[in-house]
Amino acid sequence: MSDTAAPLTQDRQKLEMAALSAPAVVFTVAMIAFPVAYTIWLGFQTFSQTGKQSFAGLANYSKLISDYEFWHGLWVTIALFVLSLVLQLIFGVWLALVLFHAKRLPGIVRSLFISPFMMPPVVAGMMWLVILDPSLGAANYILQSFGLPPSDWLASPSWVIPTVALIDSWQWTPYVALIVLGGLQSLPPSVYEAAQIDGASPFKTFQRITLPLLLPTIVTAAILRSVDLLRFFDIIYITTQGGPGNASNTLNIYGFRVGFEFFNIGYASALMLTLTAIVFGAVLAFNRLRGAVAW
Amino acid sequence: MKARMLATHVALPVLAIVAASAHARAADFDWMKFKGKTVTFLANNNPVSQALLTYKADFEKLTGMTLKVDGYQEQQMRQRLVTVMNATSDEVDVYMTLPSREGEQFAAAGWYADLTAMAKNDVAKDYESAGLSQALLKAATFGGKLTSMPMNLEGPIFYYRTDIFKKCGLDAPKTIKDVEAAAEKIKACDSSVTPFVSRGLKPAVAYTFSNMLHNIGGSYIANGKSNLCSAKGKEALDTYSRLLRDFGPPGVVNYSFQQISALYRGGRAAMAFESSNELRTVMEGGARLKDTGLLPFPAGEAGQVPTTIGWGMAVSSHSKQPDAAWYFVQWATSPEVQKKMALQGIAPPRPSVANDPEYRKWIDEEPVRKEWQAALDVLATKGSSEVGYPIVANPQSREFIGQAVQDLILKQKPIDQACADADKALDALIALN
Repeated sequence: MSDTAAPLTQDRQKLEMAALSAPAVVFTVAMIAFPVAYTIWLGFQTFSQTGKQSFAGLANYSKLISDYEFWHGLWVTIALFVLSLVLQLIFGVWLALVLFHAKRLPGIVRSLFISPFMMPPVVAGMMWLVILDPSLGAANYILQSFGLPPSDWLASPSWVIPTVALIDSWQWTPYVALIVLGGLQSLPPSVYEAAQIDGASPFKTFQRITLPLLLPTIVTAAILRSVDLLRFFDIIYITTQGGPGNASNTLNIYGFRVGFEFFNIGYASALMLTLTAIVFGAVLAFNRLRGAVAW
Repeated sequence: MKARMLATHVALPVLAIVAASAHARAADFDWMKFKGKTVTFLANNNPVSQALLTYKADFEKLTGMTLKVDGYQEQQMRQRLVTVMNATSDEVDVYMTLPSREGEQFAAAGWYADLTAMAKNDVAKDYESAGLSQALLKAATFGGKLTSMPMNLEGPIFYYRTDIFKKCGLDAPKTIKDVEAAAEKIKACDSSVTPFVSRGLKPAVAYTFSNMLHNIGGSYIANGKSNLCSAKGKEALDTYSRLLRDFGPPGVVNYSFQQISALYRGGRAAMAFESSNELRTVMEGGARLKDTGLLPFPAGEAGQVPTTIGWGMAVSSHSKQPDAAWYFVQWATSPEVQKKMALQGIAPPRPSVANDPEYRKWIDEEPVRKEWQAALDVLATKGSSEVGYPIVANPQSREFIGQAVQDLILKQKPIDQACADADKALDALIALN
């Protein structure tokens, strides 16, 4: 066999592999690229109330700047994002530690702990809507049984954001806990043995060893939750539809209504692309943080 | 724009001609003409379509066609429709529509096929287009084009607990002021119940608020401008929001038909102002069967101007088989099918069905059904189909009405500011018309 035969065969193999995978690659790229490109194109169009379409240049984007609902939606989105993420990370880490240390916890109890995130958000939304109903719901009944004043929960402009954040955290904290639990199980035992020999207290061990070593895992969980939280939609759509008033009108809910209820697809596309840019920005920022805390 | 009065005597001359022509052509009518074709129906999964689709097999047997049903909840159905129509796709042949909500918008966008010619040229002997509610047909006619055929007749009506009224020494309210006085008295007499409940959810408010506004004598538009800040407009906003704030359940700003029906059915509300369609839900379990009275919403200074609307069946302008699609629309809105639906509690948009002996027998079985039908008779004769602003952007106009009402319920703005903010936003929408 000559010296050039082997590289030729390798090249041929690479070509064959590329040819075989090409349809799947083209299909995948098209499935991602086409909707994005189409949305970008729609963002430069304006639609009249009757659906007539015309080129608008950057008009949809300049409208964003003076649109009170956009800025309000952005504020609501960020408020929900921060509150939910903080709650989910704190309680997620706590739940992971409980599950990690309670080795003798029966499987069924472990499954119950992590079951909420397996529930479809629509079901979770409907369930909490009933529980938190100020007149008929169990939440106020329990509060009043303990002599506490009832709350309007989702019907109160000042309580709706914390309430939605609590519902989302109820559902997604177990997901964060599962990720963190995976991280806990991969931590090197030798470090803990050394800490034990040095007489470190459990709190010091957690503060100085567990938490720093877990940070990359926690940031990964934060990235995964951030993408969902910035696109907050389903639970709000089911429970409040952005209300009362516009108190829970996130950017995603606002864009949906502009597009599908008021038929202004061009402006809705501009809103959604702006939201996409915000999501990308947040993911990039967290990725950098992840790089900084990696060990 | 003047409200569309749904008086039955306002028959459209064009429909009389349609009916006469149809009679002549009926002899040639063949239900099997489109045998083998498939018609796709985009349905709102509500009690109306559920009752209709009980008889899907009958349609397929009668015509030899296949009926493909694409069913969604109301908002999801509209999303699907917007996507299909914007793509000028022929995926949907027939769809359900609310002319009072999206009629102007869809007609202006050219999404409705014109049914005038179909109703004239291709009708079965017993179809009787003229037998359908002329008022609802008029409400579905835009620019002289008939855009949909009525499936039902509905509107908000007043449900009240006769036992609580008796206990508190109250008579059935005749005026809006009586409703307020009754709410006040019930609040003092029986603290275990919510005196009054109606819609407080922002996009849902217009349905019930419009009835209050019209009864009080207000209008949405005067001289081409939004009219919520007129004296009557402010009175309607103030009365509606005060009733809900002072006598409604906590969290009423999130209340739509589901919550209202559940509250009333559970015996936790003394008065409810909600859709006639909810009768079946409210009566589930039978707890409210013997202690409920029903009325059209009590009169204001302008008397009773109830809100009357109906779901319609439209043929898509992008359908490649509008004639076959029309056969399905015709079957679904025929006297025979509408009678079957009526016996399931779907208020018929045909006076002939409403007077049918079998239907009347069903109505007479329960006093509450009699009162329900009596209220519907008032809706059919006196109703207005104006729910929200009679403009192309009607769905968006409902948001601003709801916002003004919620601002007042939650005491976030004084009435002058709430109505002025709404008028400003609504004037911008009117200008787009």
